[in-house]
Amino acid sequence: MEKVIEVQGLKREYITKTGWFRRKQKKVTAVNGIDFSVERGEIFGLLGENGAGKTTTIKILITLLAPTEGSCKVLGMDTYQEAKKIRPKINFIFGGEQGVYRRLSARDNLKYFAGLYKLSMADVEQRIEDLLELVDLQQDSDRKVETYSKGMIQRLQIARGLINDPEIIFMDEPTIGLDPLGATMLRDIIKKMKQNGKTILLTTHYLQEADELCDHIGIMNKGKMAAMDTPENIKNKYGGKNGNYSLEQAFITLISDKEKEQ
Amino acid sequence: MMDIIRILSTTAKLQIKQSLARPMFQFCLLVNPIANMIFLYELYFNRDFQDFISYGVLGSCLMGIWSCICFSSIGDINRERHSGTLPFIYVAPGGFGIIIMGKILGNMILSIVTFAISFVTATILSGKMIVIENIAMFALSFVMMILCFVVVSICFSYILMLSRKTELYMNLLEIPMIFICGFTFPIEILPSLLKVISNCIPITWAVKILRMGVVETNLQEYLFHVVILLTQLFILVGITLVLYQRINKEIRIKGTLEVR
Repeated sequence: MEKVIEVQGLKREYITKTGWFRRKQKKVTAVNGIDFSVERGEIFGLLGENGAGKTTTIKILITLLAPTEGSCKVLGMDTYQEAKKIRPKINFIFGGEQGVYRRLSARDNLKYFAGLYKLSMADVEQRIEDLLELVDLQQDSDRKVETYSKGMIQRLQIARGLINDPEIIFMDEPTIGLDPLGATMLRDIIKKMKQNGKTILLTTHYLQEADELCDHIGIMNKGKMAAMDTPENIKNKYGGKNGNYSLEQAFITLISDKEKEQ
Repeated sequence: MMDIIRILSTTAKLQIKQSLARPMFQFCLLVNPIANMIFLYELYFNRDFQDFISYGVLGSCLMGIWSCICFSSIGDINRERHSGTLPFIYVAPGGFGIIIMGKILGNMILSIVTFAISFVTATILSGKMIVIENIAMFALSFVMMILCFVVVSICFSYILMLSRKTELYMNLLEIPMIFICGFTFPIEILPSLLKVISNCIPITWAVKILRMGVVETNLQEYLFHVVILLTQLFILVGITLVLYQRINKEIRIKGTLEVR
């Protein structure tokens, strides 16, 4: 199976300077040497506590950040050196209510981003209609986004993330803050995307969601990869005793074990 | 080419919509030119009427355009950062440089309103018609001045992408540029060192040729100023293009596309 994402020895440091005259340099290592790969057509989940390095990893993969060390390839291309070649083939969605223009309607938002992704004028209208239908926003498509609920904004984000029919979609906590109905709808959309041959890399705090959606999971802790396998294998190996396996238990076990080691 | 034009026009339209919805921009667009014109009228009303036009009226126009094109355009980077849309437009295949140009274009279109408001306010305050000696020369000067402000804005917008303190640097730039480029007084009265710095900034020459458009001017002298302006703009564009790749890499190394 073709590997569309390949990460080897990935490291990312943030350097901040504080103070006015004798500026002190502070280094934070967000990602500290991780390796993983994602095959075409699968849903890969990155789990971890806050500050584990999940979002930084995604940002490197979507060419927003440069790695400090290591190799990071998407569709066989280096994310730092060949960013321009990668960008038309991927897209990303961040959880929350940011990333869309609130003074525009959903339709106008999608038209604008369609233009930025250089979609042909002939295809744009139909593409937008299809996406609005997929995310169930046809009725509200001409209302300004500032009047939308959180769930509606999140669905619009999904539509925006699919505007260029990307090969790979990156999602950073896509269901955060959504009510159960909204989250279920979003998960159904993600499953549909997989059926359509998309590769999806997502981060989430919701372990049940990861268990339900992901073909493979990587659990990060303090910038390192604590475990990587199918949800089933992870549950079997770390998930509990006497047949009461759970991803939550596996997660807690792994994070606690790693902390003890350190 | 069609893609570029489409991105420019859709971004400009979006920018106009976004800018007009902001109370601060509405203030800069509508109230500031009137307030500036009243202030400058009080400074120049005892002077020769030609001085009033050259420094008072044009000074108010230039301050309005500087606020709308440069100040707002640079501020828009920060607003995009805070609204979370900056990463998305940065990585869009359309080209971030083109998107920046579209934003500046949108603000430029709106800024022409400040010009008109300043002229009308000056006419009302002075009770006299503002007469432009050479309409063709003034029109050409106006176009070159707009071009100059747009190029300078693109340069500043891109450089300030490297920092999260965009608003601080923007505010530090606004007033000094008004003084040092001679918007409201001749730069000849500045100290020698500042005069040298002033003459190295393309905006100073744009201001000079705009002033030449409202008075009787020697054509040779006018063309000399135009050549200097175009040469400086050419150099500035070259520097921005050379820095473009470097800034692109630095943005991703420092991670300045988002609010921390």
